[in-house]
Amino acid sequence: MLRWFECVDPKRPGIISSRVRLVRNWNQYAFPSRLPQKESMEMLRRLELGLENLGSLDGKHYEYRYLGDLSDLERKALQERRVFNSTIASKKTPVGLILSEQEDVGIVLNGTDHIRLQMIAPGLHLGELWKQCDQMDDYINARFPYAFDKKYGYLTSFPTNVGTGMRASVVVHLPMLSLGKKFNGLVSEMGRFGAAVRGVYGEGSENYGALYEISNQKTLGLTEKEILDLVNRVALQLLAQEKQVRKMTMEKRRLEYEDEVYKSYGVLKYARKMSAKDAMIFLSQIMSGIVDGILETEEDCAVYRVMLGIQPANLQKISERPLEKEELDEARAAYIRRTLPELK
Amino acid sequence: MLCERCKIREANIQYTEVINGVKNEHHFCAQCAKEMDFGPYAAIFDSEFPLGKLLSGLLGIGEEQEEQKKAHQVICPACRTSYEEFIKNSRFGCPECYGVFDLLIGENIRQLQGSDTHKGKHPRYHYQEDGEQFSVETLSGQEDAGPDKELDIEEQIRILNARLQEAIVREEYETAAQCRDKIRELKEGIGKC
Repeated sequence: MLRWFECVDPKRPGIISSRVRLVRNWNQYAFPSRLPQKESMEMLRRLELGLENLGSLDGKHYEYRYLGDLSDLERKALQERRVFNSTIASKKTPVGLILSEQEDVGIVLNGTDHIRLQMIAPGLHLGELWKQCDQMDDYINARFPYAFDKKYGYLTSFPTNVGTGMRASVVVHLPMLSLGKKFNGLVSEMGRFGAAVRGVYGEGSENYGALYEISNQKTLGLTEKEILDLVNRVALQLLAQEKQVRKMTMEKRRLEYEDEVYKSYGVLKYARKMSAKDAMIFLSQIMSGIVDGILETEEDCAVYRVMLGIQPANLQKISERPLEKEELDEARAAYIRRTLPELK
Repeated sequence: MLCERCKIREANIQYTEVINGVKNEHHFCAQCAKEMDFGPYAAIFDSEFPLGKLLSGLLGIGEEQEEQKKAHQVICPACRTSYEEFIKNSRFGCPECYGVFDLLIGENIRQLQGSDTHKGKHPRYHYQEDGEQFSVETLSGQEDAGPDKELDIEEQIRILNARLQEAIVREEYETAAQCRDKIRELKEGIGKC
């Protein structure tokens, strides 16, 4: 079965993925940072037992794992694919993971909070994701009473998550808008609306690949619907602006644009060594080239999948051994040559 | 601009120092900033939670010294997290902490979140407005709570089954027996329909 990032959603180009994350805690236990090892293990067992038929809710196949049983490399690879963040990946305390086969639904147990439910989908689908999260939240809640306060809402380890416990985010591709001088101003303006915009692979001009994640800053005092609307609106707004710049480029500097896209494709298709930075820059070029109809490939090309594939842990997993930097660049080039489809 | 300390990396931290009314501006990169001593602000640079630590800066600074001294003695009776620890890590230890530190944190949460009142979803199960928790006995009592809160009977049986298993694992035989009886009752109910 294809994992979520291996599917292409051609309907709304420029939008990579949507994600909704809910944080919940069971009211019978202290938060993970204060929970002794023995109680952590007990809670994990009880959570796992209570959720063992999770698949009956949505027909998906779920796997149950302890993070402690995974190698560092496997953890790192899961982090690269954004199943969980670096804080959870480096946790030494007992952490459980329930993950769907497609990796689109993930529940981290006893991470920073007892229950961290996350759903991802390609394209812009925040509304649908929330509906599914809401259902699964009820399913979990029917089995485990939540820590909830009438005033503060769902109680969480960090005050930055309290209230709805919800983080809605959309990853968008803004290669031309982010080059402009006004981009930083635009980002801070979005901050005033309560939406954070940050580079997925680094900050500022170091964000190679031009992928940006838009998410809500606040979790308290807004309804879930208001949060979704906010993130949705900001994502569409930024995309509309990107589209405008791209249209202008297509009209005024088409030859230069085409030249860059084809050169990028050529390098990606034939290079024998490729640094992560170069790969992300060239992949970003062909991503917009495909959307703008400059490049036509034999089969649909999920460029984002290639971007995930060339991350270090994934390449090392494929080669089944740790790689030096030089070897990594070689493996990266080989991976891209293998996965990039032919041109029509 | 390059970092004035290492002169290698790009400076991305601007540090303004005012000593006896004389203002000095410095530009450092994050790595050098981390290695230098910025007193109470140092926490900002050396953490896996830059945002969280930034928050502790906001929470801890600007308060009256005396008030802080008093506040530091507040300790959550449930998990033994002190107010001082909360400020240091920007992290609560357990659900009770919110109630214990309520008066001390209300204003800060308002600053951080722009609000201190939850407007979103409420838990669908195990929760009543007055804060009472449902127990195994009252689980089926939810049938009276209106069609909105009604649990599918099969779903109820599934939940009770899970609890039954769990109770056996935990050797809580009384709870297990209660669950078993409840399941039997529900199953008979289906039979009658």
